[in-house]
Amino acid sequence: MTWKSISALLRGNSMLIILLILYVIVASTAKGFTSIDNQLNILRNIAVPGMIAFGMTLVIIVGEIDLSVGSMVAVSACMTAWVVEWASGDAIEPAWYFVAFAFLVTIVFAAGIGLFNGVLRHRVGVPTFISSLAMMATLAGLANLITNGSSIESFPSWYYIIGSGRFFNIPVPVFLLVIAFIITFTITNFTTLGRSIYSVGGNMEAARLSGINVWRTKTICLMITSVFAATGGIIYSSLINSGNPTIARGMELEVISAVIIGGVSLFGGKGSIWGAFIGVLFLGVLLNAMTLWGFNPYAQQVVKGALILAAVFVNFFIDKR
Amino acid sequence: MVDLELTNLTKHYGSVKALDNFTHRFAAGKIHALIGKNGSGKSTFIKMISGAITPTSGSVRLGGAAVSFSSPKDAFEKGVVTVYQELSLIPELSVAENIFLGRLPKRAGSAGLLIDWPRLRQDAQALLNEIGATDISANAPVSSLSVGKQQIVEIVKAMSFNPKILQLDEPTSALAQTEVHQLFRLVRKLSDLGVTIIYISHRLSELQQIADRVTTIRDGVMVGSIPIDEARPDIILDMMFGDLPPLHRPIRRIGSDDPALQVRGLTLAPYFTDLNFELYRGEVLGIAGMLGSGRTELLHCLYGARSAQHGRIAVNGREISRPTIRKMKAAGIGYTSEDRKSAGLVQLLSSHANLCLAGMEKIAPRGWTSNRRETPFVDRQVEDLLIKAGDPKLPVSSLSGGNQQKIVVGNWMNNQPDILLFDEPGRGVDVQAKRQIYQIIWEKAQAGLSSIVISTELEDLVECCDRILVLHEGAITRNFDNDGLDPKFLYSACMSDPEIPIAK
Repeated sequence: MTWKSISALLRGNSMLIILLILYVIVASTAKGFTSIDNQLNILRNIAVPGMIAFGMTLVIIVGEIDLSVGSMVAVSACMTAWVVEWASGDAIEPAWYFVAFAFLVTIVFAAGIGLFNGVLRHRVGVPTFISSLAMMATLAGLANLITNGSSIESFPSWYYIIGSGRFFNIPVPVFLLVIAFIITFTITNFTTLGRSIYSVGGNMEAARLSGINVWRTKTICLMITSVFAATGGIIYSSLINSGNPTIARGMELEVISAVIIGGVSLFGGKGSIWGAFIGVLFLGVLLNAMTLWGFNPYAQQVVKGALILAAVFVNFFIDKR
Repeated sequence: MVDLELTNLTKHYGSVKALDNFTHRFAAGKIHALIGKNGSGKSTFIKMISGAITPTSGSVRLGGAAVSFSSPKDAFEKGVVTVYQELSLIPELSVAENIFLGRLPKRAGSAGLLIDWPRLRQDAQALLNEIGATDISANAPVSSLSVGKQQIVEIVKAMSFNPKILQLDEPTSALAQTEVHQLFRLVRKLSDLGVTIIYISHRLSELQQIADRVTTIRDGVMVGSIPIDEARPDIILDMMFGDLPPLHRPIRRIGSDDPALQVRGLTLAPYFTDLNFELYRGEVLGIAGMLGSGRTELLHCLYGARSAQHGRIAVNGREISRPTIRKMKAAGIGYTSEDRKSAGLVQLLSSHANLCLAGMEKIAPRGWTSNRRETPFVDRQVEDLLIKAGDPKLPVSSLSGGNQQKIVVGNWMNNQPDILLFDEPGRGVDVQAKRQIYQIIWEKAQAGLSSIVISTELEDLVECCDRILVLHEGAITRNFDNDGLDPKFLYSACMSDPEIPIAK
């Protein structure tokens, strides 16, 4: 192996190396970090932001952005609880099909919002930065509206399984994270849709003139992200066993940070699902470590912000050379 | 009055000599026409004199004193002002503000903070009146003026710097006839005031009306400079084109019984009206026309990338209603853009990915793909078009212009089109690669592909087309069968100069 190929390898996996270094440091300083329970705990904590980050990766590669994912999580949790309550007539133990119906309504609603943003982008030319910012406020308001500002507790007793249950000792949300990974990884690597996503994000005009359906490509990415966010909302509603409008506030920031840490270019056309996963894991490990170290929660936020900046800087610097 | 004397002025870009030992004295107070076909080195010349680029070697003397320009601002201050073809006015500001941009008069006692509006208007109007442009109000926003009037404002702005040398780069290219006359009056007035003017133009018929001398560049070399009395059109054309190399291909006659593409009444204002033509199967059809003649817009309409206002397009005998890119692509049409960088290739992606953009539905009809599935398609084009891509997994941006252009073509060949529209396929590639690309178009035509090629370089059209249409002022004015056509005739036809007799 030549020096050149080693340096190329290091550069190509810079974020993975930074993650490993962080991992070693935390493992040697924070008590209990390496335990299997704690590792599974990290995975469970990153499950929801992680799956949304995979969707966001598609959206950012295709050259758009979705700032409404945090609000989408909240409104989806509330909508699920609300639909269950309404459909079952406020029953103490609602039947499973009311829950399934609520899931359907929520997912279709989320897909509809993604479609709406896509159409707005295509027909009116509204940048998704603007439309999703408006959607962020609208959906947060809608969450408060349907719950009247408090939480709705309407779920059956088994409902906790989705968020807190375990199969083979592995938390259920981790399985959902893996499914989201497989879906998005397959899209980016093994479908013509994936090829279109990269070419539309890399050069929209060249893609259009090659006969690629630009607006459909963009809209599908927006819809996938919305649906993943809605799924995240369902997981959260199960974790706290209610529909609560205050959850996941500011999650869009965490998700977008993770995606950028993972080396996805904000200018579009560049990045990978694997990279986004590393970015998500980096944030998850960091948050877990700071809790184990006993950091003041407010100080944690400052450190998080500073480290995001540092990671992005390092990534950018390595990328440029 | 000063003259501009150039000695052995040379500009190299790598091994390419854009301008080679240009030696000439532009006499003071005269109007010098500088002509040459596209790519002859005119732009390099203008940019060098305006200080935008520095010469590789050679010297410039202004009124006998040696000067060098480190920047456009430097050239400006030394008395050389250039008005480019693309105007640099700010449309939202008034005429007066544009003229005095960056040096607006300030009110006395305001510590240089408040603009002296009355004086600004007065000064600007005085300048406008001085050169006879009394019909332009200093208060009018620039966006409310016609292009011709804007051109005049630009020149007035240039004049307000009291230049010794004024370069005008194709000032009439976007003007209507009456505006051209007003502009000429203005230019002559400036000349009378003692300004030495270098006037770059494509329109040969104008030269008699405006120029004192005609200087010609060809392939970066100054070929000659003659007084206007001697500058007959045929002499100028000979100077511009020189001796032409013999044709590299046999002459074909394409049968006109099997049209691949039929166009009827195609109209797109303001570019063209009521175009009617056919493209026959296996034919290479050239469309010649000057910049702004609507060539690219025509191809965009044929490809469905833009909707025409009227007209019908039939592909293989079947009329396509309300064409879109997807419909046209499905009907068998492809389009390679004139601008590789911004519209032809995805520079971020690999050569491999760029070869699979247009043909993805052919490569992976069910939507599932992988590198393994795509590789044979990539390899086929690399082999067929002799693309020197090295590792096709590397970014396409690492390739030379010629190889990038071949990738643009290969991308479309993977979609197996019946008709391919080539928009400036030879732009920005070296001579050898250009020849290879035209060779490819020619070979594909013999294999049954029907093509339309547009190019500003008329020799290129002559080299690869079976038939050439001339698009001029929104209409097809000529239809040449290319059996050894002389590019000079083609050039005259494109300019449609009544004074230049079109032989043949």
